[in-house]
Amino acid sequence: MTLFDVVFKGNDAVYGLTESAINDAVAKYGEEKAVGFPDTAYCLPCYYSVTGVKVTNLKELKEALGVVKTLMTREQKLNDAFMSGVATALCAEFIEALKYIDGAAPYAEPYYGHLADAIIRELGVPLVTGDIPGVAVILGKAPTAEDAVALVKSYQAQGILVTMVGECIDQCQSLGLNMGYGVRVVPLGADVTSVIHVVSVALRAALIFGNVEPGDSASLMKYTMERVPAFVNAFAPLNEVIVACGAGAIALGFPVITNEETFRVPKSLIVQPDVSKFNATSLEARDIKIKITKIDIPVAFASAYEGEIVRRGDMQVEFDGSRVDCFELVHHKDMSEVEDHHFELIGPDFDEFPVGSKQSIGYIVEVAGKNMQADFEPVFERKFHSYINCIEGVMHTGQRDMIRIRISKATYEAGFRAKDLAEVLYARIKSEFDAVVDKCQVKIYTKAEDCTKLRHEMAIPMFDKRDERLSSLTDETVDVYYSCIMCQAFSPSHVCVVTPERLGLCGAVSWFDAKATNELDPAGPCQVITKERPINEEIGEYEDVNEAVRKFSQGALEDVSLYSIMEKPMTSCGCFECICGIEPFSNGVIITNREYAGMTPLGMTFSELASMTGGGVQTPGFMGHGKHFIASKKFMKAEGGVERIVWMPKELKDTVAEKLNATAKEVYGIDNFTDMIGDETIATDPETLVAFLTEKGHPALGMDPLM
Amino acid sequence: MPFNRKPQKFNASIREVEIGVGEKAIKIGGENVFPFYTFDGDLGNTPKVGVEISDLGLDNPVPGIAAYYEGCTTAAQMAKKAAEMEGADFLALSLEGGDPNGANKSVDELVAVVKEVAEAVDLPLVVEGSKNVEKDSELLPKVAEVLQGKNVLILSAKEENYKAIGAAAGLAYNQKVGAESAVDINLAKQLNVVTTQLGVKPESIVMNVGTATAGYGYEYVVSTMDRIKAAALAQSDATLQMPIITPVSSETWGVKESVSEEADAPEWGSREERAIAMEIETAAADLVAGSNAVILRHPQSVATIAKMIKELA
Repeated sequence: MTLFDVVFKGNDAVYGLTESAINDAVAKYGEEKAVGFPDTAYCLPCYYSVTGVKVTNLKELKEALGVVKTLMTREQKLNDAFMSGVATALCAEFIEALKYIDGAAPYAEPYYGHLADAIIRELGVPLVTGDIPGVAVILGKAPTAEDAVALVKSYQAQGILVTMVGECIDQCQSLGLNMGYGVRVVPLGADVTSVIHVVSVALRAALIFGNVEPGDSASLMKYTMERVPAFVNAFAPLNEVIVACGAGAIALGFPVITNEETFRVPKSLIVQPDVSKFNATSLEARDIKIKITKIDIPVAFASAYEGEIVRRGDMQVEFDGSRVDCFELVHHKDMSEVEDHHFELIGPDFDEFPVGSKQSIGYIVEVAGKNMQADFEPVFERKFHSYINCIEGVMHTGQRDMIRIRISKATYEAGFRAKDLAEVLYARIKSEFDAVVDKCQVKIYTKAEDCTKLRHEMAIPMFDKRDERLSSLTDETVDVYYSCIMCQAFSPSHVCVVTPERLGLCGAVSWFDAKATNELDPAGPCQVITKERPINEEIGEYEDVNEAVRKFSQGALEDVSLYSIMEKPMTSCGCFECICGIEPFSNGVIITNREYAGMTPLGMTFSELASMTGGGVQTPGFMGHGKHFIASKKFMKAEGGVERIVWMPKELKDTVAEKLNATAKEVYGIDNFTDMIGDETIATDPETLVAFLTEKGHPALGMDPLM
Repeated sequence: MPFNRKPQKFNASIREVEIGVGEKAIKIGGENVFPFYTFDGDLGNTPKVGVEISDLGLDNPVPGIAAYYEGCTTAAQMAKKAAEMEGADFLALSLEGGDPNGANKSVDELVAVVKEVAEAVDLPLVVEGSKNVEKDSELLPKVAEVLQGKNVLILSAKEENYKAIGAAAGLAYNQKVGAESAVDINLAKQLNVVTTQLGVKPESIVMNVGTATAGYGYEYVVSTMDRIKAAALAQSDATLQMPIITPVSSETWGVKESVSEEADAPEWGSREERAIAMEIETAAADLVAGSNAVILRHPQSVATIAKMIKELA
């Protein structure tokens, strides 16, 4: 027998029962007898949602059954099985409705049966906010009563609303489990047909919260699939009726997880023989994410501790990447390779280290998610510094394999151990990046030999690979750029266009960061900008970029070029790390940075230059930019590129020297280009600067005039 | 050369939102011109004026307000009196007593006040929360529930609690949702986007884009409202076409010009005159910058602003 046949058989059986139940009722009460559920404006809610027709008496109910019959087509196709599932559910609703005839109260403690509209309106809010992250429907008899209780409690702990049907209710009662709407455990009834009362909740939610028109079954199913995070846990043995009901659940988008060895339908009918794993399997199947509201560690966690220093004398243990092998790493893996909230410590815990000693540590945070991308790894990893520093009495500096962590004696004595460090990383990653991280586990290595091996064989090659990707990524090799309007609160008409080779002028938003921000917060400050319609690739002008800039600046800016300082230069908010301005005597440009308070050869300091560069206006000849942009091949490419740089403060020059020299060598074949660039120790006036440049043979002197 | 009128025509307009039920229901928005640009086209619905009362009653009132509400002992009595004020289009009930850092009244207590007030008046009702995001996400859904069928405006859903308040007010109980952001066009837009993604219809949203008292960093408010209306009309940005309501009094009555007693600042003259001046100046500026409704306290302010609207519109 195929799965379809099982569904059809179950459907036929329920239909037969319904038909005779209705006929019996008609015989007993006559066709005019009213039917319906108490406290609902939706008559028979499931039937009404699906068909748009309200059933009020037995005559109409009989007609409705005729409509249900038309759903019961018998081709060996998925849609036939789904529709038969829906038909089964509707039959169940009819059977349940008959129980309420004459204002009867068919359900008594502990059973709830039909749930009133008011409960749905009340439930809707926490479902929408995620305070109730999901709805579990537990059906049948668990292998043992303890299993049933453990499963219910596991959902309860996550805030998931549990509804139960059948013998699992008796099992929970036998162990004295506290049940009821108030504790979010709702026993519906003993008969399998009582499951319709939770389906009724989901469908009425679609009408109330989704503005779905009754009868628009396509929108109805789309709504339940996308917005009602329900799933079914059906214990073995499954009979045809349960399978047929299950087909109905699946049609609404609710996966069924069972411990019976039966047919498997990917993402819909899932076999999980181990009942203790029903929770994890269900959450993954329904894509339910549990909000983490509190980090369970023995010390405080708050941004107030971010700048706290742990002195040598107060320190219990230190991990120092500059002396011994240490590293921190985010690694994304396949969904099947990560067990959510799993923690593993490989090596001794903090209490096994001598007080005040220097040790090795390596921690790997493994994440998995349907929307996770390798490019997000460094974005998460960079947050570790802030996460770990927010722990009371723990200090963190550096990144990658150059980290240093100190744990204070007081924090250690409060009970802080490796698992707490892992807990912080887990909780923060899961809550901050929940849009892309579905599962997260943490491994901490504390044996020196493991750390040495993993650092050199795993971490460093990964860092190298990332760097290589970053340096090989060019504006030409990507399909989209990103806008960034984070600063518009201060600078209303400014829009940054972030490209791989031109990071945001604040220096803090790279193309990867913008990409991650966009994925994590799709309505947020970073939006995708296409670059399909070039106007002038030399200066980096695109129609699509101009449209985006017009839109995001609310019309204040008409057009920008990405690579020119003279023609339509990109605007600046005021957060720029550096300002570049033309120096007319040498045909070149000078760059000064925020940290440098002194005079420049233009006769203006950084702050004086800032006042004419910022504010979201285009000032040809001046632009704000990030430090990393200096060595970019796109740096004022339209005017000849980095060759134009004639002056920088010494400290800035030293910071960018290595990369800038490499770019100059690659593009122009110039060795040690920075030696030709002036600084404040050489000149702060144009005459002395030009004399120096002439002496060094700086290429800018021979270039076309900028103006 | 003769003068040629060139009306500025937009293909977009601000959405019209109805608050309240029955004869006294009001509509705000609907315009497709800049504020009071009657020479350019149709103003839609004229801006509306609301009178604010508080669950805490009167706190150190100026004589004019004390006299106006004389003899009122309950919120319902105050509401009735406020509804009779000359120029009042709607009533705004502030539940500031719910603030956990203040009187910290319970949700049940406040809901009882809301019910009492709603039963006492037939003017459209705007309910302002406690300004505490956690408390509001518990309180305002309950308020939305007990006012079912009254079509009230719930102020406000913010970035932190828009889901709870938006779902309750906008979806479950069919009220209007106030979307509050802090003087930033992008935040206002983002909140509208996520609130509509939640399923709340755009025509059920009214924005509170934040305000300040004139003289207190107020330029930001003007610039924000200006840019919102420009984006909504000139750029047809549908995510910013919701009308704007601005609670003026809760800002202006807290600044030193409105608080300092005459005894402490004799050179400034009457406290009441100062406070009224601050309220009227700010409200007038909000309206010409783009607010479709303002919330005020003093009878004289309400009458003056209502008159201004009548003269300009």
